[in-house]
Amino acid sequence: MTVITNICGEPPKDFIKIDIASDPNFVFVNDSDFNVKQLFDSEGNTVFVNSYNECQHYVSGGWDFTPAKNAELAMQDSLLYVVVVLLVLTFFKKKIRSYI
Amino acid sequence: MNVKKFSSILLVTIFLVAPWLNSEITSEITIPKVSQEDVTFYEVNPCKVSLIRFVINNTESIYQNHFYFRPDNRSPIECFGRISGVTVLQKGLETQFFISIGTSSALNLLLQGLFWIGCLSLMPKNSTKNEKNLKIKFHNLSIFIVSYYFTYSIYAESRYYENILYKFDLRNIKTYILIFLLYYFIAINLVEVFEERSANFINYLPYVFFVSGLFSGFNFNFFSTIFLYLGVRSFLSGETNRFFNLSYATLAIWWLFNSRGSFYFNVGKIRGFTSSIFEFNANLSWIIFGYLLILGLRKIYYLNKDNFSLRIFTKNLSITSFLLVVLGVISSNLPLINFLNYYYLGLQRWGVESTNPFAYEEFTNYEGVTIDIVRISWRGLYPSSETIGEFYGLCLMFVLFYITKKKKIGFYDYLGILSASTGLYFSDNQTSIILIFCFTLLYLFVLNFKLPKIKPVILILLLATGIGSAIYVFVFGYFNEAYIFMSESLTSQGKLYHPSEYVSSYTEFIDSNYERESLFSYFFGAFSFLAYLLNRSEMWGIFFARYNPSHSELMLGSGPFNLGQLYGEVNINNTEGLLLPHSSLLSYIVYFGIIPVSILFSIFIYKLLTNRKNIEFNLVSIYIFINIIKNDSLNYFAPFILYTILLMLLNKKERLPFFKDSFFENQVGSADKVNH
Repeated sequence: MTVITNICGEPPKDFIKIDIASDPNFVFVNDSDFNVKQLFDSEGNTVFVNSYNECQHYVSGGWDFTPAKNAELAMQDSLLYVVVVLLVLTFFKKKIRSYI
Repeated sequence: MNVKKFSSILLVTIFLVAPWLNSEITSEITIPKVSQEDVTFYEVNPCKVSLIRFVINNTESIYQNHFYFRPDNRSPIECFGRISGVTVLQKGLETQFFISIGTSSALNLLLQGLFWIGCLSLMPKNSTKNEKNLKIKFHNLSIFIVSYYFTYSIYAESRYYENILYKFDLRNIKTYILIFLLYYFIAINLVEVFEERSANFINYLPYVFFVSGLFSGFNFNFFSTIFLYLGVRSFLSGETNRFFNLSYATLAIWWLFNSRGSFYFNVGKIRGFTSSIFEFNANLSWIIFGYLLILGLRKIYYLNKDNFSLRIFTKNLSITSFLLVVLGVISSNLPLINFLNYYYLGLQRWGVESTNPFAYEEFTNYEGVTIDIVRISWRGLYPSSETIGEFYGLCLMFVLFYITKKKKIGFYDYLGILSASTGLYFSDNQTSIILIFCFTLLYLFVLNFKLPKIKPVILILLLATGIGSAIYVFVFGYFNEAYIFMSESLTSQGKLYHPSEYVSSYTEFIDSNYERESLFSYFFGAFSFLAYLLNRSEMWGIFFARYNPSHSELMLGSGPFNLGQLYGEVNINNTEGLLLPHSSLLSYIVYFGIIPVSILFSIFIYKLLTNRKNIEFNLVSIYIFINIIKNDSLNYFAPFILYTILLMLLNKKERLPFFKDSFFENQVGSADKVNH
């Protein structure tokens, strides 16, 4: 299952992908059959999308984060800092021991 | 007890308790008991309750056998040590509760790694000054290279890891930096602890059967770090054999050239010592692993050979056997302990859940009449009952060597005899039981009676007459019909498993040989006869139904520790789960091909001949050889390293007549030179 299908669901039967990037004045049309979805980016910003077309466009552009994913990535960053600190302590273990 | 040892034990204890206290729910909130009717609390609140609070509120989960604690490696870091889900299953009349515990793979690397480093630090340090103060060349560079290799192995097997590492983007370099640093931290500390104890390593090697050292979620063994590190060091220092390097490089080029296609392999119980996929990168990764492992084994042998103590080694074999049997029994009765053992000992597979090691299975015919009663083998903590049976057999053999030399039995010898015999009986490894019985008699006979001198020519004549008579009786004589049936058992069993529209190349090859009644068909018939006697007709038949090599693959293999092509290339009819080939010989033919395996076999025969007066080498090597023919032992990390090191250690060419200068003659007295 792709990220788009995972977040936006299966595409409608008559769905044709439009190249939105080439049209700066493009306005998304609301689809009454589409359940409104809330999307997140990596910084926790949020947007509501009202059609499959809008949803797949945002998700393709990097709005494929979720609060759970953001929380996990933050934890991974914390883990990275912890490991760096542990490594520094390991390298300077002997010097630290001499001070204690 | 000195302060350092005390702090090690304290650290290990903290690691045992602290991770499972992580909770998000405050103590005021009441946590309900899980029941057949209602587990909604745990469905609504995943990753909120710590394992310890769960156990306090569900005390029966500690001892009732219908609770199953399972690690959830694909869970968030925040969820570590918490209940990530509860599933209720109805199996017949029994309601089973599967309790998933969050064990984030990234944290496992850190937590399990540090725990095992703590355990390793309990090993006595090197005693001599030289060993302590030796300046080690390429120390840091070697650790860096091993860490880089580990990170590369994650990339090479990303298909396996993308299902394991939660929210890790394996296309992002940042992910690999984190994995590299985590492993680098573990490796640097492990190597430091190991270097101080390097000369004692072999004496304590039996414990790798107890602490398997598999990082939960990873296809990598903690202890292989040591061998890879030593392997890299040997390579950088030029301590390698030119002929071996050249041969391995030639084979490696062929294996890489041949790495076409992509075949996924469910690593199952041989996790940590097999590739999860047959692909170029994975093949390259395991080729490097194989090369460095061999160099590392050689290096560790040189570091340890003068410090080997039969007394300490046998004592550790005995203690390991005892721990395996006792903790195996405890594990099978207490689900919580089973989970903790799985996690902290780094097991490939859950400890056995059958509480009765004496259990039998009754087979009945369609009328309900009992036709056979079969013992159910009991594996305890180890993933394979046969392999652990081999270990118990080996323990008994070494206890025998030791007490024969020492001429008295101590506490640990009794412990070893009792626990290894019990374990061997539970494992139901009949080959090991028979071999140990025969070898004990033979060993005692050889040590106590002078053997008549037989000239080699007479010996060869006697052997030839024996084999000739057997061939005549079985192939042409009275047992001809029975022999035909047995010699075709492999092909007939194999045919039950391959669909009629497509057969493997090896099956085709065998069929054509049988049709032409070529010389090979007689050899294969004899092999099939052996398979029948060893009760391997079905397993080896399945192997040949799958085995689909090209001519070159048959000769040179398709790459070390990679069964992906074997299991993915030819679809066969459904089997009961992952059925390994049940022969290390067959697995190694898949890895290395017939030519390298034949060369290894020739070296083995040569070593047997040169060590013909070394009774211990002969007994141990024949014991290992027979077992690896009929078992997958060498597909597991622990037996692979133990057997290799033992064969190197016992292999002595000079000055070893049977009884006076036996290998261990000086070992008993010299045991105390190692600090312990």
